[in-house]
Amino acid sequence: MADENAAEDGSSDTAHLYEGKKISSAPPSRKKAAGRLKSSTEIPEDAIPEVHVPTVIESFFGGPIVNTTKFLPPDRMVASLQMGSAGVLMILSLLTFMVTPVSGTAWFALSNMLGMQTFGGVLHLLIIVGGLIGGLYGIFQRDQRALIVSYALLIIVTLRFAGSKVDFGISFLPEEEIYQKMLLLLYAVFLVMYMELTSGIIRFSMLDTSIRTGEVYVMQVTKITSRYHRSLLVTPAIASSVAGMTLLINLIIPAFVGLFDDVSALRLSESVELTSVYGVALGTVMVFTVVAAMFAVNLPLRIQQMRERDA
Amino acid sequence: MAWSRKSAMFAALAIAMYLLGLVLRNSQLVTVAVVLLSFLTWAAFRTSHADVASSGRRVDDADADEGIQLHSISALRRISSARIFEDGEIDVTLRIQNRSNLSKVLEVRDRVPEVMRIKKGANYVLMELGPQRETEISYTIETPLRGFYTVGPVCIRVQDAFGLFHNEREIHLYDDFLVFPKMEDIKDAMIKSRVPKIFTGAVNIRNPGEGSNFYNLREYIPGDPMKKVNWNATARSAGKMMVNEYERDAVSDIVLIVDSRKIAETGPVSRNSLVYSTRAAASLSQYFLARRDSVGLVTYGDEIVSVDRDTGKKQLYVLLTKLAGAMAKGNTPLKVVTDRIMPHINRGSPVIIMSPLEDDPTVVSAVRDLRSRNFDVTVLSPSSLEFEFDARRLDRTGYEVLKTERDILLSELRGLGANVMDWEPDMLLNTALAGARGF
Repeated sequence: MADENAAEDGSSDTAHLYEGKKISSAPPSRKKAAGRLKSSTEIPEDAIPEVHVPTVIESFFGGPIVNTTKFLPPDRMVASLQMGSAGVLMILSLLTFMVTPVSGTAWFALSNMLGMQTFGGVLHLLIIVGGLIGGLYGIFQRDQRALIVSYALLIIVTLRFAGSKVDFGISFLPEEEIYQKMLLLLYAVFLVMYMELTSGIIRFSMLDTSIRTGEVYVMQVTKITSRYHRSLLVTPAIASSVAGMTLLINLIIPAFVGLFDDVSALRLSESVELTSVYGVALGTVMVFTVVAAMFAVNLPLRIQQMRERDA
Repeated sequence: MAWSRKSAMFAALAIAMYLLGLVLRNSQLVTVAVVLLSFLTWAAFRTSHADVASSGRRVDDADADEGIQLHSISALRRISSARIFEDGEIDVTLRIQNRSNLSKVLEVRDRVPEVMRIKKGANYVLMELGPQRETEISYTIETPLRGFYTVGPVCIRVQDAFGLFHNEREIHLYDDFLVFPKMEDIKDAMIKSRVPKIFTGAVNIRNPGEGSNFYNLREYIPGDPMKKVNWNATARSAGKMMVNEYERDAVSDIVLIVDSRKIAETGPVSRNSLVYSTRAAASLSQYFLARRDSVGLVTYGDEIVSVDRDTGKKQLYVLLTKLAGAMAKGNTPLKVVTDRIMPHINRGSPVIIMSPLEDDPTVVSAVRDLRSRNFDVTVLSPSSLEFEFDARRLDRTGYEVLKTERDILLSELRGLGANVMDWEPDMLLNTALAGARGF
């Protein structure tokens, strides 16, 4: 279309003579025209290269995890994720305080050496509070660096030599193994969900920014967000079930063996190895061997095919 | 199935915590690691669809391909125009079909050339596509730079809700289009052959213009030179001033030479010598062809590409296509070009050279040869120095030194009788041409 018009425009070379335009009888002054007839004097956008000098923190953390994105104000989805994350972080901090004793930690050993035993406890508490504050700041400011620091602090606080036995930071917590493991599982699920929800905040903020700047167009936003909300409920439930099987392998194996031989089952249930962290390792091997077998027989594809056929 | 950075980080963290937990006999760490691994495994289980079968053959090639998440997705594209001018717009409509019985959440990205800008709509869409449904994505792209371009392929991605794993597929659907250089309206290039062609073929040259034969009378328009006023006719026409119009003498052979050597692309992508030269060549082609002249084109870079002289609208598109495809490559000297073309063009024909005149020691001898054979040589030289200086890639001292050298070269060419114009970036083509012709 445009090319046709252009060709037509140029087809009558003297057309301008009949449009009553004024044509200078004297030739134009080159200098005068050069000074006046300018298409644009602006420096083109692509002419100036963007140079970003990394800060010390950026240099330390490296590229991908550094927050360089400027987000638009949070939309409803992001705001609800922020509130959810903050809630999960509060509970996680409480659970962390409950399930992680100060004994066995490096700072506990240090405070003992210095002869100030309360110092270890205070430092332990400070690390948890640091994780909480850093996390809250990261959640509401959508700052990935603060979130990374929060993850790190909440993981570091669990680093201790524990000697196989499950210990808790608060003495009035249940003594029964199954309740202890459930509490541990709850703590682990909240930690993972905290990491997922906070990364969801960044992800949906980026998506929202892209939508509002027109870079991405989203059809049926509610369907996509509801899929995420549904996954937030289903995935932790399934992950905690699998992890529960792994952690409770010292109960599952004796129960299974008990179907055939009660004496062996009793011996297994009293086995120190099975009840220790190495029992969990054995459980992990067993459960994940089954999972690997599922992938080996291409079960995801077969399920997909079955769903396609049945739909 | 591909891992995202997040899933890789989660997996690394889980393994580290697991091993550390075993070493420290710490059940908290092991529990967190196991939950994290379970979380990842479930996401992988939901996303995985085995891109490669156990035989090593891609599932795409297999006969039984139903059930593959992305295989049932197809795309069709329509573009509004396959030929467009710079700064034009192309409407793209992409139709995505889901031939599966399951609904799918898809990320669709229609790849557009990097230099293009999306003006309206989006080429990146996130959607849920129902079973046996189709949807249309429309967007408009702006075409700021000449060239041959391709839209496509269509990239489709399915990923789990947490963005841990994804499957991608490229639908090899391509649409080519051509962006012609932008043309400027030239009022009067004041370039004519000193040697009119004797045989003009079927071309009708009975058009008014600057010539010697009387053509007709018309009313005076402000701006007409007084020497054109026909006083006898004015006296007879009851107070209306009448002027003579003359018939153009003949058509001219005009040869445009465009420098597309690598150095011609010095400067920003959208403002460099080659961009200006191609635009000027396109504008001049349009002008001369509309004047019924015969126009030929030579571009030289790593090789010499020429278009034989011809007239008419078809020739315009041939020239524009060649200009659209001119790539900055190589370093062929101008002398090689002139030596090759000189035997094939009529003496006295106008030759217009568009070149930054840099890094070519043969320029002076090439122009001297052309002038010695009585060619009417015009040199339009877009100054790379100005582009570089504007882009702040050249300091003031360097600019001044290079500018002096350039001025000396231009003076030397003027001394040979060529019409030379140092074409500064902000100067319109009309102005540059007027300057070249000595006004």
